[in-house]
Amino acid sequence: MGSGRCAACRYLRRKCTDDCILSPYFPSNNPQRFVSVHRIYGASNVSKLLQRLPTHLRAEAADSLYYEAQCRLEDRVYGCVGLIFLLQQQIHAAESQLIKTQAEIAVMKSQVQHP
Amino acid sequence: MASSSNPSSSGGTGSVGGGGGGPCGACKFLRRKCVPGCIFAPYFDSEQGAAHFAAVHKVFGASNVSKLLLHIPVHRRLDAVVTICFEAQARLRDPVYGCVAHIFALQQQVVNLQAELSYLQAHLSSLELPSPPPPPPSQTLIAHPPALSISDLPSASSVPAAYDLSSLFDPMVSQNTSWAMQQRQIDPRQFGGTGSSSSTGTGGDLQALARELLHSQGSPQLPGNDAPPSSSPSPPQSLSK
Repeated sequence: MGSGRCAACRYLRRKCTDDCILSPYFPSNNPQRFVSVHRIYGASNVSKLLQRLPTHLRAEAADSLYYEAQCRLEDRVYGCVGLIFLLQQQIHAAESQLIKTQAEIAVMKSQVQHP
Repeated sequence: MASSSNPSSSGGTGSVGGGGGGPCGACKFLRRKCVPGCIFAPYFDSEQGAAHFAAVHKVFGASNVSKLLLHIPVHRRLDAVVTICFEAQARLRDPVYGCVAHIFALQQQVVNLQAELSYLQAHLSSLELPSPPPPPPSQTLIAHPPALSISDLPSASSVPAAYDLSSLFDPMVSQNTSWAMQQRQIDPRQFGGTGSSSSTGTGGDLQALARELLHSQGSPQLPGNDAPPSSSPSPPQSLSK
């Protein structure tokens, strides 16, 4: 009985039923995955969220919840939003570089056309 | 709303809540007494704050957020609340991917821009040298960037300290420094996208959220979001400064 429990039910010290909504996404061989999600969202919120989703989307949802939970545990202030900021800054930098390069190309071309 | 612009510790001194100013948005939503020193009171006013808190509670739960905030220094809590609200709203809008959808979209943009930049730089080099221009990149590279999955995303500890674009696309690179250690303060000007940059409107959402929460704090109005992008990445400043 105990060895058949998913990571969620093992952590919550409850019986893992055949229709446990969490068990497909929090297998017993990765207890840390559920611990992270539970610390940020709580088992109840995760269960409710997954229940509202069609079955074929729940795995992705569980993965994204785990990812965000990990980000928040790593960075309690910004969570995964910190990564969003980083990417936005990189986009700005790349766009600036693009504009600069396009200008340089325009200059080169005009020099070729009008030496 | 919150009359205090300097949130005190949760042990509380002059923050609103229970002091005759009515319940904060969180306690109003939870229908409980708002005690002096309520940890949510500085950040959720009784008007718009209740709506924001509703989203936060639905996704994270009041208890979990309270514990999270307790582990954060007071001067960083406003930034934390803004990002928590943002994540909660993103998750309610997209129950499958939440914020991860934004990250995907931004990473795709970075990939596209990198490809375009590489092509242009090669083209520029060819103009500088007497050789035929390189062939344009295949349409599939720019028009159809490789599909990303959650497993491709960098782990929380693998984002580098420096702004090295290439490392973001190698999720298995292990970095010596956790990106979380590179704590950047939020500059509200960073929230705004620069026209086409934030195709998902991420920046606009964050900025709107920050404005609402800051405005409820009685802070001066934030500058507009049409600030030009900086040519080089710079660490954003704190919301609460």
